[in-house]
Amino acid sequence: MDRTMLQRQKFAGLRRELRAVLITLCLVAAITAVLYLLILTTGLEHGSAAYLIPVLIAAMRWGIVSAVVAAVCGVLASAFFFYPPLYSFRIKDPHEVLNLVLFVVVAIVVSQLASRLRRQLELARRREIDLRDLYDFSRRLAGAFDVSDIHAAIEEHLAAVLQCGVVLFAGGRGAGQRKDLPVPRAVLDEVEKCAAGRAGAGAVITAGENETWLVRAVSPKNSEFGVVAINLGPAPPDSIEEFKVRTDAVLTDAAATLERLDVANAIGEARMRAQAEQLREALIESVSHELRTPLASILGAATVLSEAPALQNEAKLKALAQDVRDEAERLNNDIQNLLDATRISSEGVKPRVEWTEPADIIHSALDRCRVRLADRRIRLDIPPNLPLIHVDPVLVRQALVQILDNAVKYSHTGSCVAISARAGNGHLTMNVSDEGAGLTDNEQARMWDRFERGERHAALTGGSGLGLWIANAFIAANGGVIRASSAGVDCGTTMTIELPVKQATVPQLEGDDDE
Amino acid sequence: MNENAPIVLVVDDELQIRRFLRTGFELNGFVVHEATTGAEAIRSATLQPMDVILIDLGLPDMDGAEVVERVRSWSTVPIIVLSVRAAEAEKVRLLELGADDYVVKPFGMAELLARVRGLLRRQMRAVSGEPTVRVGPLTIDLAARAVLLNDRRLALTPKEYRLLQVLAQHVGNVVTHQHLLKEVWGSVHVHDTHYLRIFVRKLRQKIEPDPDSPRILVTELGVGYRLAQPADSESGWAASAVEKTSP
Repeated sequence: MDRTMLQRQKFAGLRRELRAVLITLCLVAAITAVLYLLILTTGLEHGSAAYLIPVLIAAMRWGIVSAVVAAVCGVLASAFFFYPPLYSFRIKDPHEVLNLVLFVVVAIVVSQLASRLRRQLELARRREIDLRDLYDFSRRLAGAFDVSDIHAAIEEHLAAVLQCGVVLFAGGRGAGQRKDLPVPRAVLDEVEKCAAGRAGAGAVITAGENETWLVRAVSPKNSEFGVVAINLGPAPPDSIEEFKVRTDAVLTDAAATLERLDVANAIGEARMRAQAEQLREALIESVSHELRTPLASILGAATVLSEAPALQNEAKLKALAQDVRDEAERLNNDIQNLLDATRISSEGVKPRVEWTEPADIIHSALDRCRVRLADRRIRLDIPPNLPLIHVDPVLVRQALVQILDNAVKYSHTGSCVAISARAGNGHLTMNVSDEGAGLTDNEQARMWDRFERGERHAALTGGSGLGLWIANAFIAANGGVIRASSAGVDCGTTMTIELPVKQATVPQLEGDDDE
Repeated sequence: MNENAPIVLVVDDELQIRRFLRTGFELNGFVVHEATTGAEAIRSATLQPMDVILIDLGLPDMDGAEVVERVRSWSTVPIIVLSVRAAEAEKVRLLELGADDYVVKPFGMAELLARVRGLLRRQMRAVSGEPTVRVGPLTIDLAARAVLLNDRRLALTPKEYRLLQVLAQHVGNVVTHQHLLKEVWGSVHVHDTHYLRIFVRKLRQKIEPDPDSPRILVTELGVGYRLAQPADSESGWAASAVEKTSP
């Protein structure tokens, strides 16, 4: 069966060549007819140079064989039709013999040049495709975040270069992922052997009638790149060696490419990144749990104590219990800030957006700060019918809590904290103004940095210097900006949160049968 | 000890937490039972009817969420989840599983007591068939489908009334956005939070004495809405010394 196939292939090649020669002959005949007509009507002599046309066409399109056929036929036709004695292959004049010899030389040189040009064009096109493949590959690698992305890129790259079905086995990746390309049992066994480093140069497995698989390690030096199983399809036994050589060449190339693009490093880094992320998350979870659980006992016990009947007539003891409660609450806020800060720097903030009533955010923030704001006068200015905003309400509330916290920290007991909201120009702004310490230019420039604390206040108030940095990150995650302005030292500060309002995209109520 | 004292089951593996909860509840006239594992909690709940269950999520033998789900499969006993996990998505998940409320650790005893009392009142109303719910100056008569503010009858549209009705049935406890949307608009609209926002805004205009500072229909950011307990709202009113400027 294989032998007949090979013959069929050869036969197809021969037929192509024959067809080219036939078309060339037709071209020569057409040129002869045209020249003959021209000679009859205009008395033109010696048109043999026109036979260069079919020579050139044949050389460009079908190669040197057809070009030589065209040249020889052209010479014969000239001798037969145009040189005396006419209608005979003999030529009387030695000049004309020289002319024809010159023609043959020129024709052969031209056809050589033309066919070389054709080969070069083809090569350039092939190289362009290779380059495009390589470019695609390196682009995918650059965009790959984890190991499986990188392996998928390698698999696709090999499939594109080899023009065969390719399955890559590496790092837990394998046949399971490829529904379109089932891998036979025998091949899987061989892959395992190869991955364990027990196989030699690679094995050929014939599975079923029409499938021949080649199993190879992608790189003999680096096992990270994995093992490929290549489906050669119904390959004839005597051409397998040929396939094998070609595959090896491609794999060597691919391995070199992988080395050059530092894929091994990328895989290692991606793996480290995933592990670090896991570790960090576990750490955050455990810190959060381990710190908060005892705090819950402290705070709970303090609130029970401060309300206990036995303490109701003991004002000093009651105040102590309340101090314990307040300090526990402060500690809890600090822990929350640290966790938020870790979250921001490790994974970035992923907002859970929903349509939100802006006033709800402000009321919720005020509620959170109720104890801290107890001895400040609060002035609220929230107009009715503010547009809904599409944000993560919890993040915006946290940012607002940080700002309110600062307003309390840097102002005097009994002073006023004003909160207002406005809509306009596609934005919703929330302003928090205090009558406190204000800001110097220097402070304005540095206040958004992490761990930055105003030097004027360092001795007077506590804090980690994380608050505004967190607020800024949370507002930015919602597509907003946060600004500070102050008329100067002791003139108060106004903090502004500006959030986008996508009025046009607020979905309409449908089927509102209420109105 | 009073025969009719409400029984609270405290499920937590931390001794210190159980201790302060026991003291706090006993001082307020409750009978306290304790369990340290999920299995023990389920056994206690089957052996004796509890009035309310407080459960921690991080139990040694199983996740608190599983206990909530299993108790809920045969009992309507009020369940409050106590947890250090504060993410809103987590709260919503537990409320959907059947928990009645969620309190983030650390918390003050007064806050927890208010939530527990609210749940007990609701339970009592369900048993006695009491048809009216009172929240501050607002009265909702579920039998007559009437809503009164300071004894003056309010005109609500059918959807506004339905929204208020669902909240009144859970008075004092948070009701998730998803639950409200499903009850009022149907399950097709469970993600259309803006429906809720717009109707809550209209409803507040009618039922709140001061719609710009809502005290009755309270927002639980990222989770849902709560019809405030009278106790909550009283303390809220007392604590607020807010000046208002009209725009």
